[in-house]
Amino acid sequence: MLTLFRWCSTWAPIVFIRDSRFGMPAVQSVHLTGLTVFLATMVILDLRLAGFGNRESSLSGLARQLKPWRTGGVTLVILSGLLIFLATPDKYLGSHPFQSKMALLCCAILFHFVVLRRFIASEPVSRPRRINVMVACLSLTLWFSVGWAGRAIAFIP
Amino acid sequence: MVPPATSLFDWCQWLQNTRLATTINESIWLFPLIEGSHILALPISVGMIVMFDLRLLGFATGSKVTNEFLRWSRFGFAVMLITGVFLFITQAGKAYGNPFFRTKLLFLLVLAINAAVYQLIFYPKTAQWDLAGKTPAGARFCAGLSLIIWIGVIVCGRTMAYEF
Repeated sequence: MLTLFRWCSTWAPIVFIRDSRFGMPAVQSVHLTGLTVFLATMVILDLRLAGFGNRESSLSGLARQLKPWRTGGVTLVILSGLLIFLATPDKYLGSHPFQSKMALLCCAILFHFVVLRRFIASEPVSRPRRINVMVACLSLTLWFSVGWAGRAIAFIP
Repeated sequence: MVPPATSLFDWCQWLQNTRLATTINESIWLFPLIEGSHILALPISVGMIVMFDLRLLGFATGSKVTNEFLRWSRFGFAVMLITGVFLFITQAGKAYGNPFFRTKLLFLLVLAINAAVYQLIFYPKTAQWDLAGKTPAGARFCAGLSLIIWIGVIVCGRTMAYEF
């Protein structure tokens, strides 16, 4: 696996991103822009699940409307993240915050598909509010933890 | 402590050497905390604006929900502004001559004017066009401009740190 990552890091487009003056900032900017859009849709969904915002329109309808931006945003984040990782794989594999970030990311994705998806498929009023609030809080905590772990890469070895 | 009344650059240098700035710079957790908050407030400030712009442009189909969440962005903006000011104080001297920092400030000025135009001209008549799906061309222009320039702000903000 490490051999594969190292081989990828010598691939011309990756080398270009790593060594050109604005390559890394450009890819990092895409990462942040994708994060902004993706997390905004998650915040809107989770707040609506927790009972905030306009309750006239259905939660499942809102989720459907936001879906292209949610998937579009997360795609940008993952693709740019992969490029950042492949530019210097050794640096990231040896970083404790990066390992935590990947573990938290797995938890967040798992939670999203196993729990949250069911909660946004039906209307929140059909369940006790504290359960909705708990699920919304967990979802936001997980996604923002991924972000904090990502930021910690720059500060903690 | 009184700042020297010589030039803007001297004032930035002075700011960077204040007790507050050195405290933040020397603390192992204050700077990461402030910088992390600045970045992770993006989805609840810029993210909400972007979703609103997309809705005005007709890319995220109309419902009043996104309108409501625009209110949440005020909290995000408070975090952005406060952490942003602190980040500037700690690196004022370095930020002063940074072309990306200057561009970012210019972009923010354009966004402020753009938002003011939208608020004064289009916002008061929202009820007439909003739910009917007849967004005026001018309002769409404001939304498109806002969308592009906010992304520009993110790009400048991220890139300026590479130029320090």
